[in-house]
Amino acid sequence: MKEWIFTTDHKRVGILYLIGSMAAFAVAGIMALLIRAEQFNPGLGVASEPTQYNTWLYFHGAAMILGFLIPGLTGWAANYLIPLMIGAKDVAFPRLNALSVWLFWMGIVVALLTFVIPDPPDIMWTGYPPYSVKTAGNTAFYVFTVHLIGFSSILGAVNFITTIIYMRAPGMGWKQLNVFVWSLLTGLIIQLIFVPVLAAAVTLLLFDKYLGTHFFDASAGGDTLLYQNLFWFYSHPAVYVIFLPAMGLLFEIVSTMSKNRPFNYNALVAGMIGIVFISGEVWVHHLFTSGMPDWIRVAQMVTTLMISVPVGIMVMSLWGTIYKGSITYNTAMYYGASCFLLLLLGGLTGIPLAMAPLDLHIHGTSFVHAHFHFIMGIFAAFTVFGSVYFYFPKMTGKMCNETLGKLSFWLNFIGVNVTFWPLFYIGIAFGMPRRYYDYSRIPEATPYHHIATYGAIMVGLGITLMLVNWVYSAIKGPKAPENPWRSASLEWTHAVSPPPHGNFASPPTVSSDWTPYNYK
Amino acid sequence: MSAHATTGQHWDTSTAPLLVAVGCLLTVPLPFASYFQYHSLGMAVGFLGIGVPTLLAGISVWVKEGVNQKHDQFGYSQMALPIFITSEVLIFLGLFVSYWAVRLWAPLWPPAGSPHIGTTIPIIMTILLVTSSYTYHVAEGKLEEGDMGGFKSMLGLTMLLGFLFLGLSMFEYSHLIGEGFTPSSNIFGSAFYSITGFHAAHVLVGLCTFLAVLLPALNGKTNMDFVKCAGVYWHFVDIVWFFVVSQIYFW
Amino acid sequence: MNIGPALRILGAVVLTAVPAFASGGGAEIADPAAGWDELWKHFLIDVTLIGGVFGAVALYWLFKYRADNINQVGTGPTITRAQMFGWALIPAFIFMADDFYLAANGWTLWNTYRTVPKDALEVKVTGSMWQWNFEYANGVNSDVLKVQAGRPVVLRMTSDDVAHAFFLPKYRVTEDLMPGRITYLWFYPKEAGKTYVTCVQFCGASHADMSADVEALPAEQFNNWLASAGAKPAPDASGGQPAPAASGEQPGGASGKAL
Ligand code: HEA
Ligand code: HEA
Ligand code: CUA
Ligand SMILES: [Cu+2]
Repeated sequence: MKEWIFTTDHKRVGILYLIGSMAAFAVAGIMALLIRAEQFNPGLGVASEPTQYNTWLYFHGAAMILGFLIPGLTGWAANYLIPLMIGAKDVAFPRLNALSVWLFWMGIVVALLTFVIPDPPDIMWTGYPPYSVKTAGNTAFYVFTVHLIGFSSILGAVNFITTIIYMRAPGMGWKQLNVFVWSLLTGLIIQLIFVPVLAAAVTLLLFDKYLGTHFFDASAGGDTLLYQNLFWFYSHPAVYVIFLPAMGLLFEIVSTMSKNRPFNYNALVAGMIGIVFISGEVWVHHLFTSGMPDWIRVAQMVTTLMISVPVGIMVMSLWGTIYKGSITYNTAMYYGASCFLLLLLGGLTGIPLAMAPLDLHIHGTSFVHAHFHFIMGIFAAFTVFGSVYFYFPKMTGKMCNETLGKLSFWLNFIGVNVTFWPLFYIGIAFGMPRRYYDYSRIPEATPYHHIATYGAIMVGLGITLMLVNWVYSAIKGPKAPENPWRSASLEWTHAVSPPPHGNFASPPTVSSDWTPYNYK
Repeated sequence: MSAHATTGQHWDTSTAPLLVAVGCLLTVPLPFASYFQYHSLGMAVGFLGIGVPTLLAGISVWVKEGVNQKHDQFGYSQMALPIFITSEVLIFLGLFVSYWAVRLWAPLWPPAGSPHIGTTIPIIMTILLVTSSYTYHVAEGKLEEGDMGGFKSMLGLTMLLGFLFLGLSMFEYSHLIGEGFTPSSNIFGSAFYSITGFHAAHVLVGLCTFLAVLLPALNGKTNMDFVKCAGVYWHFVDIVWFFVVSQIYFW
Repeated sequence: MNIGPALRILGAVVLTAVPAFASGGGAEIADPAAGWDELWKHFLIDVTLIGGVFGAVALYWLFKYRADNINQVGTGPTITRAQMFGWALIPAFIFMADDFYLAANGWTLWNTYRTVPKDALEVKVTGSMWQWNFEYANGVNSDVLKVQAGRPVVLRMTSDDVAHAFFLPKYRVTEDLMPGRITYLWFYPKEAGKTYVTCVQFCGASHADMSADVEALPAEQFNNWLASAGAKPAPDASGGQPAPAASGEQPGGASGKAL
């Protein structure tokens, strides 16, 4: 026990991240089920009052993004994999790393307090003023959740950028890095640059609400839109902090399981770097309806559409990776394969949102929900689930149960499609608005909400089976072979499973013709 | 290390990170919300009562382990600090952008009812801060020469200048508040106190870092990496001050 | 405009699409909602094409390249330097062309959306927690938005308290309202009919109830209503709130039109 909570070892820190982020996911997922229950029929009254529903939704959004995906990818995956992949003993600052994970946990604690305190936060994960200033709800806890998790991720970013730059195994050049290492490096650069702006924005929010300042108060010379701009200036890039590492993990799975190098590695890396540059110029696409000056709305429509170019290049590489591959299917690869379709579905539905005039009808409707659930709540989450299966033998030394894994995969995959396709439709056809606990105005949406709720129940079942599988297999699973997927990457070829403190019996060095994808 | 590694018996541990994290939770979010959201001074004091000692304990364990080189130290602090400072720069940028936005769109600046803010105090403060950057530089030189006594006294001088800086800042605040100019007076008040206050908080963090250098140094222990980093951080705080002065006081 | 969408894509690829501004000079009113439906169709074809091709290829390859035995390795070609650039730049060029095509069309429609036709009926909209108030030029206040069929309507909007958003699903328009700024939108009720407005910016407990009826009446009926409603004293005409037009000098809110 002491060796866990006081640990400074990157692998154990990684697992602490995983536990924390899965806890956030489970609670936020239960909130999703409650949301779906409330929306089953208009005005059903599962929530005792609207504010309770708003609190669920606040927690769901905030915890899924800040508590599950960002820490899952830049916390768990980064911690567990980066030092092993680059052949390092640990990260550059092990104790800082432990501090990051515990700050993240404290953030989760503050978020979870939502359910026990009076006047919980009810301001959605976006926290727009003036409402967030006027509400009786506890905006402070929203701000501190952002602060704690944000500070944790800044420290994490500093740590990992340093680690990747300075601690690669002797001989390991920039073109010999795993795709995941690159994706994380680019993602963390975004994180490092943009999180502080969010921190500044929510700090000003805190001052406005509790200390009487007027930054967002139009009647005293402040500006409401200022917050929205600062918020999205971070929160749009944040989606690439999720997207890039998710793509990286996907490449690890797909490349290993199809025993093929990632196609056009150089272009792939260029694409990721391209995203770093573009991601800062597109935030206004969340503000197409906000009353921003027209010229900037149109300009950012164009830049937003341009994001499909670097992403498209990554897509070419992903597709090229299976071309003439030799694919074996396990649960991890089931997730990997499904991600091909989810990426298209989620990404391409971002396109109409990016077209400013089309967004005027679908902004704020459940079409947006369906878009970001497919790309983020499903695509990115599936890469996390897939890579937990993929690295399960590494982390535990045990094999995960494949039958149960595949069963829960199908429940999840079918379930999410059943849940979110209807949301596309009612968003477009009836203009079903977001954040509505009661949609009596739009009774024709009811049957579709029924379907969505059934889908969510299916996902709930799938997720439960998945969690049961992980826990059961970690305890009772059969012993794993040293390199079950016959990977060529350092974490499998040079370290035992699970790796001891210090990772490698002798520090690896690599030759100039080595790559982590050499499957010959 | 590899001997340990193969047996798999040894795991590095440190109590400091958990203590610091829990300390942070107890010193900021909980007391703040108790007091401002739930209006319970007692609860706020209670949280602070547990939180501050926890945080201090965590930091002191951290520093102790640092100067004793107890852990895997890879010696990358000086490379990492600029990366961290990048993000600090962006926090300040976020604040300045907010300030510019409200200021440039304002019909009248400073808004009616703002007092005249003198420039004498900020000039003195600038001199103090620049001098302190210099004295710290001298201190580092002394340490490199192995002159521990000189190092300690120059470090002490640096800290004294830092405290004077903060004192002047407090003096200015109390003066302005006495004139009825508070953060909630108008948007200028909001911006003025937020930006200068945020900078002052950085000065305070810098001084705490110096304290964490000084206390072990009194026992003759130092960690060169740490000393250098504290210095870079201090210079950074100094540079930010130029922006604060030019944007807030002289524009 | 009667070239097939596929051809237009091709054209866009070749020309990398110069923005094609709409000919706004005509006397007839460009209906943004109709333009929306049209552009949506283009987008659907465009994106279904891309998604269909990539999706089909993925499924086919995922199926085709299954391993025969566990020890098999992939035989994906190693590419030369030229191929490397080719496989990056050619797709990038095609994607970019498509983006420009979409952006050009979007830009055109955007201009339609933001250019208010002359002689539009002007109504001041004030959102507050959680209701809508509509004020007409003659001082009439109403909580139902009644408009004249066949005449464009322009709304000048602001909020009393927090941010709201005015969403008319039927007319395919949304725009936010916030204190201290005036925003605008316009729509074109071609025919008489009833619909509703909802709020799509989260604004607190009754956000979901913040809805009002929108009624397009034939000209005569509308004018009668406006005249008779004008006889009644407006509900809060004496209220101290600044009329939207008067707050034009407010900080940040240069004017509704400028935004
Ligand atoms: C991981 C998270 C993630 C990712 C990766 C994305 C990716 C994208 N998103 Fe999404 N988005 C969100 C998460 C994400 N989004 C969230 C959470 C919200 C809602 C926030 C809230 O309001 O609460 C949101 C909302 C949102 C909006 C605002 C909608 C509104 O509120 O009105 C917009 C508008 O432009 C948008 C666009 C896009 C685009 C263009 C991409 C692109 O990056 C997609 C690029 C991918 C592809 C295009 C597919 C693959 C490419 C090809 C096959 C090549 C060829 C393609 C073409 C040439 C088109 N998103
Ligand atoms: C990573 C991001 C992510 C993920 C994975 C999800 C997952 C899901 N989301 Fe959510 N969602 C968001 C991010 C995400 N969401 C965001 C950002 C918003 C916007 C909020 C806002 O508007 O501000 C949102 C909003 C949102 C809404 C909009 C509500 C409204 O506007 O009124 C809905 C409604 O259907 C919804 C549904 C779901 C469902 C059914 C799932 C399902 O996929 C969930 C599946 C998971 C489970 C069902 C949990 C299973 C776990 C257990 C059963 C626990 C078992 C426990 C043990 C074994 C110990 N989400
Ligand atoms: Cu008004 Cu939502
Ligand atoms: Cu975005």
